[in-house]
Amino acid sequence: MTDRLLAGLHGRGPITLDRHRAIHGPLPDAGPDLIATVEAAGLRGRGGGGFPAAVKLAAVAEARRRPVVVVNGTEGEPMSAKDRALMRHTPHLVLDGAISAARAVGARDVLVAAPPDSAAVLAGALSERGELGSRHTPRITLTASAVGYVAGEETAVLAHLEGRPPLPRVTPPRPAQSGFRGRPTLVQNVETLAHLGLIARHGAAWFREAGTAARPGTMLVTVSGAVRAPGVHEVPVGTSLPEVLDRAGGATEPPTAFLVGGYFGAWVRPDAVGLALDDAVLRAHGAAVGAGVVVALGASSCPVAETARLATYLAAESAGQCGPCFNGLPAIAAVVERFATARTVRGDGERLTRWIDMVKRRGACAHPDGFARMLETATRVFRDDFEEHARTGRCARCHADPVLLLPRPARAAATA
Amino acid sequence: MALWYLTRATGATALVLLTLSVALGVVNVERFASPRFPRFVVDGWHRTVSLLVCVLLAVHVVTTVVDGYAPIRIADVVIPFVSTYRPLWLGLGALALDLLVALIVTSLLRERIGVRAWRAVHWAAYACWPLAFLHGLGTGSDIRAGWVTWVALGCAAVVLGAVAVRLADRAIARQRRIGAVAALVAVVLGVAVWLPSGPLAKGWAEKAGTPASLLGGKHTTTARRTTP
Repeated sequence: MTDRLLAGLHGRGPITLDRHRAIHGPLPDAGPDLIATVEAAGLRGRGGGGFPAAVKLAAVAEARRRPVVVVNGTEGEPMSAKDRALMRHTPHLVLDGAISAARAVGARDVLVAAPPDSAAVLAGALSERGELGSRHTPRITLTASAVGYVAGEETAVLAHLEGRPPLPRVTPPRPAQSGFRGRPTLVQNVETLAHLGLIARHGAAWFREAGTAARPGTMLVTVSGAVRAPGVHEVPVGTSLPEVLDRAGGATEPPTAFLVGGYFGAWVRPDAVGLALDDAVLRAHGAAVGAGVVVALGASSCPVAETARLATYLAAESAGQCGPCFNGLPAIAAVVERFATARTVRGDGERLTRWIDMVKRRGACAHPDGFARMLETATRVFRDDFEEHARTGRCARCHADPVLLLPRPARAAATA
Repeated sequence: MALWYLTRATGATALVLLTLSVALGVVNVERFASPRFPRFVVDGWHRTVSLLVCVLLAVHVVTTVVDGYAPIRIADVVIPFVSTYRPLWLGLGALALDLLVALIVTSLLRERIGVRAWRAVHWAAYACWPLAFLHGLGTGSDIRAGWVTWVALGCAAVVLGAVAVRLADRAIARQRRIGAVAALVAVVLGVAVWLPSGPLAKGWAEKAGTPASLLGGKHTTTARRTTP
């Protein structure tokens, strides 16, 4: 077993402060020295971007004004449940990470954006502690996170915390330079901070005992689809995909493809040799570890119907700020829908490729790029299925229960 | 020699593409779209064509300056009305170029400067085209070749059509529309009166302000090129 973050979990409510201290020991205060330790540990962000945590920490610590730490628990990715799992089951580890980060960069304020139920658990954990807000521990403020696919993007989280609509903005300036109300801001994903809470205790060498040399440590994966035990599991970075499936109880039916990373991620063939949760391996398949999402699409599901539904959902999740994203994604989703229903018009195949190419790098955030990556790999991996659908339309599998969860679009939910 | 031809060719092509860019811009802002030609594709074409105009103009400008035939300096290209060669007509081109650079730069930085500032600058597109057009008529060595005249008139027709569509938009205030139509009619009549006695008449090169050293006895374009 490689349980670090999930060590001592019993599934009966959140771990209490006493039990948390018994499992992990006391939290030392290394102050700014933690940054060097994190750099030696090689910890990378676990929210999807995979950015080195030490670089962000150092950038924020070097800023002239007093910085703010933002704990990003928004988790807008529908197939990911890891951040919520951490906050609900081991809230003190998340708080430890946030406090360590605040001490490392010299922040007095920590702002947490989390779904209401997770925030409630964190509030309970905070009340257990009581001594916060003193000279060595920061003030921690809990805020209900915004809903929507792009609401978890770090600049969208900052906009939400400032009381504005949760929309991404152009970077630079990055949050490390100018974030919450113009102050230098460290925005870190919940899982990243939980790792930080352990690195502060056990050091860099311990962290590197798991994972690969380039991507050390363990990671949380949310496995779903055609597996017996879907849910959140902790594995070393670099674990092979078959092993990940084993951790999730094994496949319930032969998989036809995996969606890796998240909805902004990539579809990969199950027969691809040496597939592992390692960016160096996945890069060859146009994929990345992303937010640690693995969806196994079973043989009884229709990949074209799933892809078409997903494309329509992601198009509706555009923040509506940039023309190519707002106008382009629905137009592309409509072409995919035409494939799914055998209503293609002449040139649709070539049109799809060309249009996907036209939305890349044309947004303030990476939403159109993620959409493009997902569709490019879908049309490559499911080429035969797409061609068959273009000829014969809906298949028997199209009516199977959807595997990919599609929450109601945020805008529709807001107006309801 | 080759450079001078390149200058003329890129100038004429740039005018055609600039016309297309204006038309696509109007199509875009009026939200004309179809399932096969959705708005982001129109937008993509508008962007691509506009950037292509810049590439052509870069060649147009560089060849003009490098070519030794006409005494045009780099300053003449960006500062209007200071050249010794056809100062008024080259100056209009310099103005059009400056406006185009402003249009392109603000468009590339639109997310930074905000949509309102961008839109304010982008209205200059309606000034950029006429300036470029008059520059083409006034300095163009080829305007008296029949087909070039027709291409230029065709471009003018396309832009007039696009502007008419834009002005018909309900979002345009009535007073502004009346003012724009009046200005438009004045410009069109002015050009229509001027054209036959100006660039289309003999002796234009001299009238336009071509230095005497460049003028030979004959005023046809090829003959002019052979004079030392």
